[in-house]
Amino acid sequence: MLAVCLTLMARLVRVVNFSQAATGMFGGFVAVWLVSNAGMPVWLATVIGILIGGALSAIIGWIIATWLAEADTSTRSAVTVGPLLLLISLSFILFGNKPQPFRPILAGPAFSVGGVVVSQVTVVTVVLAIVVAVGCRIILAKTSAGTQLRALSERPTTAELLGIPAKLLSVGVWTVTGMISALVVSIVAPSQSNDATSLAMLIVPAAAAALLGGFRRLDLAVVGGLALGILQGLVAQIDQISFVRNFVPFLFIVGFLLWLQRKEVWDASR
Amino acid sequence: MSTLKLDNVTVSRGAGPVIRDVSLRVDSGSITALVGPNGAGKTSLLESISGVIDPSSGDIRLDDEPLGKLSRVKRARRGLVHIEQGRAVFPSLTVEENIRLTARTQAGVDEAFDRFPELAKRRGNASGLLSGGEQQMVVLARAFASRPRFLLIDEMSLGLAPVVFMRLLPMIEQISKDGVGVLLVEQFTHLALGVADTAVVAASGRVTYQGDAATLKNSPELLHRAYLGGAP
Ligand SMILES: Nc1ncnc2c1ncn2[C@@H]1O[C@H](COP(=O)(O)OP(=O)(O)OP(=O)(O)O)[C@@H](O)[C@H]1O
Ligand SMILES: [Mg+2]
Repeated sequence: MLAVCLTLMARLVRVVNFSQAATGMFGGFVAVWLVSNAGMPVWLATVIGILIGGALSAIIGWIIATWLAEADTSTRSAVTVGPLLLLISLSFILFGNKPQPFRPILAGPAFSVGGVVVSQVTVVTVVLAIVVAVGCRIILAKTSAGTQLRALSERPTTAELLGIPAKLLSVGVWTVTGMISALVVSIVAPSQSNDATSLAMLIVPAAAAALLGGFRRLDLAVVGGLALGILQGLVAQIDQISFVRNFVPFLFIVGFLLWLQRKEVWDASR
Repeated sequence: MSTLKLDNVTVSRGAGPVIRDVSLRVDSGSITALVGPNGAGKTSLLESISGVIDPSSGDIRLDDEPLGKLSRVKRARRGLVHIEQGRAVFPSLTVEENIRLTARTQAGVDEAFDRFPELAKRRGNASGLLSGGEQQMVVLARAFASRPRFLLIDEMSLGLAPVVFMRLLPMIEQISKDGVGVLLVEQFTHLALGVADTAVVAASGRVTYQGDAATLKNSPELLHRAYLGGAP
């Protein structure tokens, strides 16, 4: 899911957004605070959390679109580490360093396959990931805003010279992906180790999955997310190696990069 | 009638000014050719008009209204369309999508295909896979569909055979006859002077000739002197 967001961002607004999970995390935390301290109903708090996630993401996007419009992808991406750290520290200050009492929005098992219980959370996230990926494809292919976004991602200057509102569109992409991330965090947080750092670091498995699609292919990003989830689940089943569970994404990234490199070396030697 | 007017415009890039004190005007419905050797600062001048870069001094006005710090997008919306050097199609977009970007209505798309019938056959093709001449035709059609008031065209002929470019020239002339003011930067000097009303020669960062296009075309000696940087 987050991998889909990352892929969208990389394709459309030329950035690998390291703060993707962090803005969602912060939105989620505000939602939790609203429920436990202000007695707000869970659904309302979640909606507000999603809006805050979108707004935070929009602010970062606006800053990048304003001052780093011409910068290359690496610079733009590096800048997003700033808000990542800022949001983690801010969460510590505002909400303390304990895991947050997330109220599960969805709970309980959906069904089980061969003794492995698949939770509702898993089912909903997978379905949502597919829906978002398919929805984005349709929007990009069929609507005029979608065509404008594709034009913008190919030749940003040319697009502006034709009067396509580059800044507005890219802040829009940031807002939407920010809202999706907050939604995802709200759904998965109750079943996760949900302190600020762990949630913000959901970016690592997401990046691993997005990498499989080369940060361009939405379908492969979904597949990558699924594969990684299954792999982590399997590793967790086997007692002796269950502790490596959290390193799986890292191993995946390193492995994939090495494999790519090998291919390049091979290409070069031809 | 509209005018695009430059007053003592100087454009700097990194090291210093690349083109100095340019004053010129383009009227709607006319073609002004801007020619000169490589590195004369022609592209830089166009970029300062469309807002890609800011001029370091001078004044650019559209219908007596200074463009000042107006963004590229707003300038484009006011009808100032810049066709960049190179092939400025969006390669993965189809021909029709490229045109739809500026046309906004189906009627606008149809009108563009009426004007550029050769493209109609290719409307579903990815524009990056077309020939160089066809790609430039897409760029022209896209500019046409945006209903510009002024077109800044930067070396549309780059990498094209003269015969291919000669097929594009009448289309540019037709757009200008519709009332669009065209500032045409060209390396094929004689072809450009052939369709232009007014000519401006820039060499080593200065304007070295400004006046009637036909006069310049018919006087090789005058043209030669302007290219070498002789006094205007
Ligand atoms: N992005 C840039 N940064 C620094 N200097 C530049 C840049 N672009 C162009 N220049 C310099 O500015 C000068 C004018 O370049 P410009 O491209 O405007 O000339 P031109 O007349 O369009 O040339 P050509 O006919 O080759 O297209 C050149 O000396 C060039 O080296
Ligand atoms: Mg040039």
